[in-house]
Amino acid sequence: MTNSDINRLKDKAFQVFGIFCTFIGLVVLAVFLIDIIVEGITRIDWDFLTNLPSRRASRAGILTAWVGTLWILVLTTLIAFPLGVAAGVYLEEYGRKNRLNNFIEINIANLAGVPSIIYGLLGLEIFVRQMNLGGSLLAGALTLSLLILPIIIVTTREAVKAVPRSVRDGSYALGASKWQTIWNQVLPASFGGILTGIILALSRAVGEAAPLIVIGALAYVPFTPSSPFDEFTVLPIQIFNWTSRPQEEFLTNAAAAIIVLLVITFLLNGIAVYLRNRQQKKVKW
Amino acid sequence: MSKTASKLEAIDLNAYYGDFHALKNINIDMEEKAVTAFIGPSGCGKSTFLRTFNRMNDYIEGFRVEGQILIGGQDIYQKNVRVDELRKEVGMVFQKPNPFPKSIYENVVYGLKIQGIKKKSVLEEAAETSLKRAALWDEVKDKLHKSALALSGGQQQRLCIARALAISPSVLLMDEPASALDPISTAKVEELIYELKNDYTIVIVTHNMQQAGRVSDSTAFFYMGELVEYAKTKTMFTSPKDNRTQNYITGRFG
Repeated sequence: MTNSDINRLKDKAFQVFGIFCTFIGLVVLAVFLIDIIVEGITRIDWDFLTNLPSRRASRAGILTAWVGTLWILVLTTLIAFPLGVAAGVYLEEYGRKNRLNNFIEINIANLAGVPSIIYGLLGLEIFVRQMNLGGSLLAGALTLSLLILPIIIVTTREAVKAVPRSVRDGSYALGASKWQTIWNQVLPASFGGILTGIILALSRAVGEAAPLIVIGALAYVPFTPSSPFDEFTVLPIQIFNWTSRPQEEFLTNAAAAIIVLLVITFLLNGIAVYLRNRQQKKVKW
Repeated sequence: MSKTASKLEAIDLNAYYGDFHALKNINIDMEEKAVTAFIGPSGCGKSTFLRTFNRMNDYIEGFRVEGQILIGGQDIYQKNVRVDELRKEVGMVFQKPNPFPKSIYENVVYGLKIQGIKKKSVLEEAAETSLKRAALWDEVKDKLHKSALALSGGQQQRLCIARALAISPSVLLMDEPASALDPISTAKVEELIYELKNDYTIVIVTHNMQQAGRVSDSTAFFYMGELVEYAKTKTMFTSPKDNRTQNYITGRFG
């Protein structure tokens, strides 16, 4: 065998290996999805979506859970969006390269990797106890905001960095101030990227149960929350609660709730992909 | 700064990027309402020098200037000079066309809008006048609200010129404005420069000797951060005084 034959063989071998690895991930995911759908899809009906939780599996619904999830989504967006984007823009546009900013940058990168339950403990101490918010929606949203802020900051910085120098130069050369340049040129041009980051961060927040359990969100809430100061539950907690029960019927309920949660997550991801594609079509450098 | 006093001067100008001495003791005096060309090999400091006239180098970390840059007799590196006011007087066109990812109309009126001018009739009139001045009006008048990025490279560059003219500067700095364009677009831009010099003081950086010969009244030759020779373009191209100038314009180096 000549050298080039061996190289070609190696090439082929790696290709097969790569395809194999790709499929492992996909197959596991597909099996999981099919299993969940088979188990839960028949359980989803109008009553399931509009009933309050109950001790009897057949009467239990997820109304409080999905309403809670929606509340958390909206509140978290309202808190994390301005904070994260402003911080990202500051670090990228204003922050000079000094020790302090280096320190901040490294820590933001580290924060993105901190386990979510730690944020729960932080939220418990600061929001629930010090700020006296109790196990309320607001405490939950604030905690989840902390959790996703690093992601939003990092994606904002990436999006802002992708706006070419020449556009900024053009704006400065016409007498624009730094803020005018950021507001009129940089932010509109990077908005698609920023939005994508925020939505992906939110779809992570939607799936979190651990930090919310720590701050005292309950699985059994007999009413839908009507203000940010009400107690609440969310879909992941409801799912967690149902899967820990011995009765078979509750497992079916859990599967059905998982489907609803997946639909919400996929919707969010779909919106993110759509926005990114639209942005790429609109802006060509 | 008044419109008639747009004479450009540099007195004992030195500029540094950190430790690098980019411009060495430059003294020059440029005529009003004329075209001055800066020529010289890459890295000789001509673009750096051009950018001191609207202080675009301010954004580069480690950049500093000693000496004076005078526009209409006023030192623009004084502390009390506001950079945004300065840039209303001194417009700039870049090497690569850099229209904003907005409509043609929005590109032209951007400079006015950030000055706080909101009145639609004023903006529309300014857009038409500037586009006409930049010889682009006939090509774009039916698609003013289409994206500027859909224009050809040459049209984009003329749009950038129109954008600069819209805020009525008295000086126009051009950093190799035709180097990214095809010959026909280049000819159009050169023709435009020739027309504009009736009303504006123009400084153009170029790598193209023929271009310097065609459009400029005076030429300055830079080499290794020094201003080697500065003379009427005709004089310089026919009888350069310095050996380095002679070698450069006859194509022996650079």
